[in-house]
Amino acid sequence: MTDIIYAIATYIALAAMVLAFLRFILGPKAVDRVVALDSLTIISLSLIVCIACMSGRTIYIDIALVYGLISFVGIVAIARYLERGV
Amino acid sequence: MELVILVVISLVMIAAAIMAIYSKNLISAIISAGVVSLLASIIYLLLAAPDVAMTEAAIGSGLTTVVFLYALNKMRKSGKDG
Repeated sequence: MTDIIYAIATYIALAAMVLAFLRFILGPKAVDRVVALDSLTIISLSLIVCIACMSGRTIYIDIALVYGLISFVGIVAIARYLERGV
Repeated sequence: MELVILVVISLVMIAAAIMAIYSKNLISAIISAGVVSLLASIIYLLLAAPDVAMTEAAIGSGLTTVVFLYALNKMRKSGKDG
């Protein structure tokens, strides 16, 4: 039962990743691409947690943690650059 | 299951890499390179290499983007290109 739920969640995350990447390609300005990158980060974080739950290894959760922290720093740096330079 | 994840992520990654090469806007190229390393981290995780995935997420997605933006800011201040 839980395998089916994890599979459905993974497919939904993959579909969301494709949609966010479409916005990433089509986005006319750099701000749209930054927002698409942020949503891609959140989607891939949930994908990592789904993989961790499916494979049953708890070390993968730590990677999701590091991933969220580091990508937050990257997004803040890009936003600060777009505002007035690093 | 893992094959589907691998195929979708690889296709998105190839498209982001092509966009990073051919994009005229430098900010978009930098963000596209960030997307490539962000998705490579998930692929490393699927290939059962969690330490490599952690290093890729820290260096490839975080540090490289910040260093590239710093360099672009320097270039724009000196008025050369960008």
